[in-house]
Amino acid sequence: MFSSQPFKDGVKHAIGVPALGLGSSMFAFGAFLNSAGFDIFQSFCSTFFTFALPGQFVMAETILAGGSLLNIFLAVLLTNGRLYPMTVNITPVIRNQNVSKWKQYLTSHFIAVTSWFNMFAVHQNIKQEDKFDYFVGLGGFLWANSVVCTIAGYLFSNVVSHEILVGMVFINPMYFLIMTVSNLKEKMMICSVLLGASLSIILNSFIPGWSVLVAGILAGSIGYILFKKEIVHE
Amino acid sequence: MSSQFIYLSILAASLGTYFCRAFGVYSARNISTDSPVFHWIKCVSIGVISAVIARIILFPEGILGEATSFSRISCTIIALVIYFSFKKNVLLAVIVSAISFALVNHYI
Repeated sequence: MFSSQPFKDGVKHAIGVPALGLGSSMFAFGAFLNSAGFDIFQSFCSTFFTFALPGQFVMAETILAGGSLLNIFLAVLLTNGRLYPMTVNITPVIRNQNVSKWKQYLTSHFIAVTSWFNMFAVHQNIKQEDKFDYFVGLGGFLWANSVVCTIAGYLFSNVVSHEILVGMVFINPMYFLIMTVSNLKEKMMICSVLLGASLSIILNSFIPGWSVLVAGILAGSIGYILFKKEIVHE
Repeated sequence: MSSQFIYLSILAASLGTYFCRAFGVYSARNISTDSPVFHWIKCVSIGVISAVIARIILFPEGILGEATSFSRISCTIIALVIYFSFKKNVLLAVIVSAISFALVNHYI
């Protein structure tokens, strides 16, 4: 797999803006862990085993707030619940008959917003039998790069000024925003995005912990129901 | 906080995160790319992502929470304007908005 051309193409795809977008936030996260009193191996383990930034921040902040292990598990589960629909969505796209189940479960560790967006941006130009290797290259590189950037952020946090660190944290949401906008081609997607953002803002006042998931489910369902006829005509 | 507790916390966070991914793979076992569920779940995914972005920009936690709403919103607009003004250049839009954000936070 690692010597296959689709794997190399996936790695090539990840190098550049996708790696920069995610890596900059991981760098800032590494710096945050340093200031929070974590050691370097704990910082490494956090990104190596979790690889989902919002949940990693929630974990660190819950520890600092004196939360229990159950608090941490539930808070991270709720925060990273967004990965569930993304995984359900991308798995049928990348799997093929030659990919065993254990490989599918292992590779799911690489599913994150950045890898999801980038895979969907190109998957129609890739042969079905090549998609899995391509995704392993793409997601695997983003994961490895994130681990390296977390360590770099931990080590060089004293060298980088606070203003630059804040700017680096802003790169990732802007990258997500631009990738979202660039993927808006169908009416159902446009509707889902606009409703998701609006409902998230409204629901944040009433159910802050659940606002993202509830807004996403409502927005996606409404977008799908209103424009599902378009799929038939495509 | 003890070192052992931090490692157990990382384990708890990793299990919580991996559960979402593994359950996603399991749930997708009978879903094909041309099924209605596939299209619905794609809409839900993009809806969730847009909800996350809106929340990060308007109600951020952590380091971004230290910045003003004005800087976050104005630099988001800058990112979109640059993207559409310069042939949909993703890198340029992201870099310019991040630099603007750092400058606005430093000087205002």
